[in-house]
Amino acid sequence: MTRILDIQNLSTHIELSHSVVQAVGDVSLHIGAGETLGLVGESGCGKSITGLSIMGLLPPGGKVVEGSIKLEGRELIGMPESEMRKIRGNDIAMIFQDSSSSLNPTKTIGDQVAEPVRLHRGGSKKEAVDRAIEVLELVGVPRAKERLADYPHQLSGGLRQRVMIAIALTCDPKVLIADEPTTALDVTIQAQILMLLDGLKDRFGMSILLITHDMGVVAGRADRVNVMYAGRMVEATDTKEIFSHMRHPYTQGLLASIPRMDQDNSRTLFSIPGIPPDLTSPPQGCRFAPRCGFVQADCRLNEPHLSGDDSHVAACFHPVTDGLLRPEMMVSVSHGRVLKEENTSEIPLLEIKDLVKTFPVTSGAILRRKVGKVHAVSGVSLTVRSGEIFGLVGESGCGKSTLGRMIVGLERPDSGEVLLEGEDVFSLRRRELARKRRDLQMMFQDPYGSLDPRMRVAAILKEPLSIQGMDSRKEQEARSLELMREVGLPSKALERFPHEFSGGQRQRIGLARALTLSPKLIVADEPVSALDVSIRSQVLNLMKRLQVSHDMAYLVISHDLAVVKYLADRIGVMYLGKLVEVALGEDLYAHPAHPYTQGLINTIPLPDPDIERNKDKDVISGELPSPIRPPSGCRFRTRCPRAQDICAQEEPQLKDFGRLHQAACHFPLIDPLEGVGVSLKKSAM
Amino acid sequence: MEERETEGVQEYSINLGGGLRASEPGGSLVDGGDVNSEVTSGWRLALRSFAENKLALIGLGILIFFILFCYVGPHLYYSNQLSGNVLNSDLPPGAGHPLGTDNNGYDELGRLMVGGQAALEIGFFAAIIATVLGSLYGAISGLVGGVLDGVMMRVVDVILSIPYLLIVLIVATKYSGTVLSLSLILGLFSWLVPARLIRGEVLSLRVRDFVSAARVMGSGRTRLIFRHLLPNALSVVIVNITFQVADAIIAIALLGFLGFGLQYPHVDWGDMLSTANTALGNGYWWLVYPVGISLILVVMACNFIGNALRDSVDVRLRRR
Amino acid sequence: MAGYLLRRFVTSVVVIIGISMVAFAMLHLISSSPGRAVLGLHASPKAVAAFNKANGYDDPIVIQYWHYFLQLLQGNLGYSYKLNQPVTSVLGENVLRSLYLSGVSLVLAITIAIPLGIYQAVKRNRLGDYVVTSGAFTLYSMPSFFLGLLLIQAFALSLKLFPPEASQSVSVIGVIEDPRAMFLPILNLVAIQVAGYSQYMRSSALDGLGQDYIRLARAKGLSQRAVLSGHLLRNSVLPMITLIGLSVPALLAGNLLIETLFNYPGLGLMFFNALQNEDYPILLSYTLIAGVLTVAGNFIADVAITIADPRVRLS
Repeated sequence: MTRILDIQNLSTHIELSHSVVQAVGDVSLHIGAGETLGLVGESGCGKSITGLSIMGLLPPGGKVVEGSIKLEGRELIGMPESEMRKIRGNDIAMIFQDSSSSLNPTKTIGDQVAEPVRLHRGGSKKEAVDRAIEVLELVGVPRAKERLADYPHQLSGGLRQRVMIAIALTCDPKVLIADEPTTALDVTIQAQILMLLDGLKDRFGMSILLITHDMGVVAGRADRVNVMYAGRMVEATDTKEIFSHMRHPYTQGLLASIPRMDQDNSRTLFSIPGIPPDLTSPPQGCRFAPRCGFVQADCRLNEPHLSGDDSHVAACFHPVTDGLLRPEMMVSVSHGRVLKEENTSEIPLLEIKDLVKTFPVTSGAILRRKVGKVHAVSGVSLTVRSGEIFGLVGESGCGKSTLGRMIVGLERPDSGEVLLEGEDVFSLRRRELARKRRDLQMMFQDPYGSLDPRMRVAAILKEPLSIQGMDSRKEQEARSLELMREVGLPSKALERFPHEFSGGQRQRIGLARALTLSPKLIVADEPVSALDVSIRSQVLNLMKRLQVSHDMAYLVISHDLAVVKYLADRIGVMYLGKLVEVALGEDLYAHPAHPYTQGLINTIPLPDPDIERNKDKDVISGELPSPIRPPSGCRFRTRCPRAQDICAQEEPQLKDFGRLHQAACHFPLIDPLEGVGVSLKKSAM
Repeated sequence: MEERETEGVQEYSINLGGGLRASEPGGSLVDGGDVNSEVTSGWRLALRSFAENKLALIGLGILIFFILFCYVGPHLYYSNQLSGNVLNSDLPPGAGHPLGTDNNGYDELGRLMVGGQAALEIGFFAAIIATVLGSLYGAISGLVGGVLDGVMMRVVDVILSIPYLLIVLIVATKYSGTVLSLSLILGLFSWLVPARLIRGEVLSLRVRDFVSAARVMGSGRTRLIFRHLLPNALSVVIVNITFQVADAIIAIALLGFLGFGLQYPHVDWGDMLSTANTALGNGYWWLVYPVGISLILVVMACNFIGNALRDSVDVRLRRR
Repeated sequence: MAGYLLRRFVTSVVVIIGISMVAFAMLHLISSSPGRAVLGLHASPKAVAAFNKANGYDDPIVIQYWHYFLQLLQGNLGYSYKLNQPVTSVLGENVLRSLYLSGVSLVLAITIAIPLGIYQAVKRNRLGDYVVTSGAFTLYSMPSFFLGLLLIQAFALSLKLFPPEASQSVSVIGVIEDPRAMFLPILNLVAIQVAGYSQYMRSSALDGLGQDYIRLARAKGLSQRAVLSGHLLRNSVLPMITLIGLSVPALLAGNLLIETLFNYPGLGLMFFNALQNEDYPILLSYTLIAGVLTVAGNFIADVAITIADPRVRLS
């Protein structure tokens, strides 16, 4: 195959005020005509900098220090800027992660799409606009002509991403660099955009460099995969090969660290210990050596180079041969109280009854009148038993975080009750509530914002005890040490300030803080979504282990069904403020009753090329309706393939579909149990 | 109660570094990665970044020089600043009077020292008054919120809409004359900007996750305010003080120049410049440039320090 | 959008009423007995009381404010006993002369500062940027009159290129026809304003250059010039509009000092003379006008932003 793009020994450094980040070192890759190359790695591994090096768009201080980048034989490194400009947006186009910041907020869509046409193709303004309409239609922007005068903020996230793709396509590029094109999007929209990219590639036969952290995304569409770690290329081969016969221990560990929906969640997830090296002073020898389970003396002394035959290269002295690590090979871990039988006499640890929360939307000239409400949570009931992990999953804007904040008392519901061991949290008096909080703690999403930057870790861990007036100073210290050990951090970490830790370490500290009061329930709001894959599995395993050893319950909130599936015993699915389905994890995955659940399961990319390529390509169409004016009847009906008239008229109630399995749908995918009239209250227990 | 699987839980024998190989019981479980050996507090980081800023060090040097010059100087270099000798008026620099004399026969170098004392003191006191008042006002407004916040901020809007210099001048026609009164006048009319700053800071801190975390732990309002909100807003306050000093020194110079500064026997740099236009016309350059340059250097030093402090606080925030 | 602007308008009116209260309160506190001020120190207490009574100065303060407020609504700013004429007539042509000085210097300052700030941002941390930043920083740390002194020394006394005094012409036309005399005052005002605006523009442009949409514009293959004029300029100037609206008080303060220094008969010099005379009705009327101008400046900036920024306009 002819090499459209050929990169040899590329090294890119970024100069900071006091140090130099060796972001990309000695990286070679090539893309053939019509080929899709997946470039994968975790954040900071240099994959995006590689993409930007090709475009010549490095951030300030960035410089290619060595190597060559050839486009159809033409050397791009050292090419005069005026020549390079003719290539950018014309021969090589790039799409970025965040469409909300990548489109100019003060220019119309039409202008922005037409701009490269005029620049590279010349021609009249009219021709450019015609071309803009053409590509906008091509990328699936409905009524493209009417959209030309719109500004980016008037479009939804999915549409904006389509517009960005349209901009890239206007001049029929030979190479399209897609840098995390779907990372900022919800799964249902991600699936739509990925399908669009697949379709466009088939139609135009361009080469795609797909830069992503998501193994599932490359599994479904890349012809070959290159894996980067700490600025180095560590492995490169065919997609099938990399998922089944990887040679580099990092690739092996990375793939095994990804929680998969189709796996038994009673087995621990593999995780790579430690954190990636600091690229301002990378270690001698193999950069993965400090975290590698197969490390030997030579790994620390010399750096391995890519070796192997043309079809498969890896940079490792001691390559692995045992293929993908299956969960069956892992140690098993208890995952809490598997609900073997219904025990209706027991008072649930947490019971939520008909919780409703709206946020006012105000407008008006003088007196701010309430003109509407955002219906964040609309009548959700659920229970969490002691020792259970309950997972709550849904896309952004479904109300899951608001629900979590109401449970811990950070938001007050408009109506409904939150019962903790039978007591209504919101009717408690201040002092009683403060005491009750010992049983109810929270873990936050943002590892940067959830720790007070001015407090040492020791003070952060003691704070809950001090607030609750518990334990003497000495006992508090002993407790902090114990907690540090439990979350896998060295005791010297106690003296340090939050800014000295990496994201994963900070989440550990956040978990330790939540544990300090030995709560009965921890609400974890997206506890791992800010973390990289290898770090994520560390934290997930830690959460799981601590849940068992402390005999507590979690309510885990996440947009990622795979994460929830791995952690949780039972899973609730939310859509636009409503709980649409709740079931045991296995049941939910194997026999979803609600079309939305089915759609979610279908759209999540699995890190397995065999499954991913033969998957049912039915994705959920359309976008999330406005929560200010939610659809009547069933809120999912506007995007549901099974919707009929009754769905608009009548709101479906939760029906029983099996043990601990309920869903709210008029036309469910599986048959409900007999006696639909089973009372809600009883079954909710 | 149902059966609970416990294998792998006993003695924490799961190796989290990979589920494959069970680790030795009691072995190290520090799998979260190490932390580097040096403890750096946010303040120390800020200090380091400050020390790396050459301009900040130059500014600090200039400021220290002028403090020594103004306060230690008069002990080393004596000149009579209480009664001038008219016979010696407007002498050019020369023996006995290194910087010459002014139109009342006062020694200009000695006057520069005494005038500098007043400028530094007024700048400092006014800045402290403004910052303390403004921080309290802004913090209360931001913390209480609701209607009170609305009213308090409208008050700020109103006063901020009246040009500062005009209102200060009007008040100065009645109440100026001493270091204390001028500090009060300047301070009482310049707390508005810090009030807005602190309020904004408090509002943004209030919704941060670490404050939510403290609330979830059951923390009361007092603790939230004194343990989390105020310490974190403090850096903004400190940065603000330096800029306030610079602004106050300029303001007092303007007042002095227009003739509404200190009154005899007190003098400040602005007063010394009130005759500058005539002095230049007469070619008495020594009555204009030494004072003017001192003034600029001190203000610049404060601005350098303020900028460096702001940047170094940002460094801390960036590494958060 | 219309609702937003209407709400801003109403807030502005509320703030203006607040300003009138403050101006009145200050007038009352500083010169509570105009009779004493008008009739002099030797007048008998009786005469003073009679004067105050005749002019309503012994009414309850709220009533006095109400009268003051009603007078304001009719455009009556009060009476200067020192000059023995209504304040409005003292303002007279001073308004136009000051407007000319401020207007010309503001427009010039903006036209210079915007490209200068963008230039600095593009040349960040290189020689050109350092030179401009140092200059701006020095000017910024300087009392505005001191720059004036330097200009007078250099251009009027040493080089004798321009007169040390501004135009003394009574009519605005006369002032406009005498650009030589107006050169130094305008240069002075422009320089201090450019020092502030260019640094703000620099940081706004730096902020803009770091945005993703600039990277996307470059990825399209646009030239530096096209990126700057087509994508950076408008977005970076938006925050400048607010700043300019906020800078009315500084503009008026600048006028006060420069007019005094160059002896230019505008509102600033009028204010300075009133200070010398302790002519409080004039001082506080001018303060009130300045407050209203400030509020108006902010409001106009809001309107301008609304027109220029589609995110505000179409929300």
